Amino acid sequence: MVHVDIAAEKLFAIGPLVITNSMVGALLASVLLFLAARWFARRSELVPGRAQSLVELPIEFLAGVVRGTGGKRWRQFAPFIFAIFLYVLTANWLSLLPGVGTIGFGEEVDGKQIIVPFIRAGAADLNFTLGLALISFVAFIAFGLRANGLRGYLKELLIAEPPYMTPLLTPIHLISELSRVISLSMRLFGNVFAGEVLLATMLALTTATIFTLPLAFAVPGIFIGLELLFGLVQALVFALLSMTYITLAIAEHRQHGSGESHSGETPEQGAAPAHGTA
Amino acid sequence: MDLHTLAAGLAMGLGGIGPGIGLGIGFSKAMEAIGRNPEASGTIFVPYILGLALTEAIGIYALVVSLIILFAT
Repeated sequence: MVHVDIAAEKLFAIGPLVITNSMVGALLASVLLFLAARWFARRSELVPGRAQSLVELPIEFLAGVVRGTGGKRWRQFAPFIFAIFLYVLTANWLSLLPGVGTIGFGEEVDGKQIIVPFIRAGAADLNFTLGLALISFVAFIAFGLRANGLRGYLKELLIAEPPYMTPLLTPIHLISELSRVISLSMRLFGNVFAGEVLLATMLALTTATIFTLPLAFAVPGIFIGLELLFGLVQALVFALLSMTYITLAIAEHRQHGSGESHSGETPEQGAAPAHGTA
Repeated sequence: MDLHTLAAGLAMGLGGIGPGIGLGIGFSKAMEAIGRNPEASGTIFVPYILGLALTEAIGIYALVVSLIILFAT
């Protein structure tokens, strides 16, 4: 029935460097983004045209969200959040184009003929999502270090709030810090991979018998629409969670640094009414 | 068809119960909140999406475990 491979397929190797079809998909997304950035950077005007406002729409939406929830220093990390959002979004939507994941060369595995596609969704490979999650991890640690200094950061990380609880709480804190990487990467990978499997399964189900064949023209289309939505939501989720982690890393400083000002709320709630129409 | 297939199906099916209930509760509360105060829908949206993602992660873990059972053992 449906051939599913959890690892990305190897296309060719340059020396020790193995090029998989997921890498091609991810690279295509970044090249596309780079070209779009060049194009719109050169042609952008103060009064946007139709294409320019189409591109500015997601940026403005995300800028509103980041400004609303990111606290005072949102300008520092906003470009990072935009980059993650646009990259994941492009990689996800690129994988829904016809031909991606379906056009490839045939290969015989265990006596069965399968297709090894030339391009596979970038996020349908754990390496891609784990890499992004590690970048996000490094980023929120770096922002925490910059806001708190090394001493403040280590104090925050290793010493719990009532000091006698340190032996109990510090391991939990460390594990929860590390589990962010795993949950970020697994979420994106699981969603995109499950989406690919879902699309393939729907096509296989509707083309299984001659009676259900008319359905094959409609049903996979519905699910592709669903995948469009999921790709957007997952890109948004990845970017927003990275932003939340960065905000938390910066905000830890404010609670400690400004004495006992007792603003126990995270800045998300404090600044939330600022963005009204986004 | 061996026990691996059964294990993967059970992992995904049982693992889907909790996140399903959780997502339903979260969504219904968000709709309630929007119904009470429609102007706050922009403010509710971002925390709602975040909570949705965090809830859904449990289901994704189940999916990953069942995929590992199916393909990596």
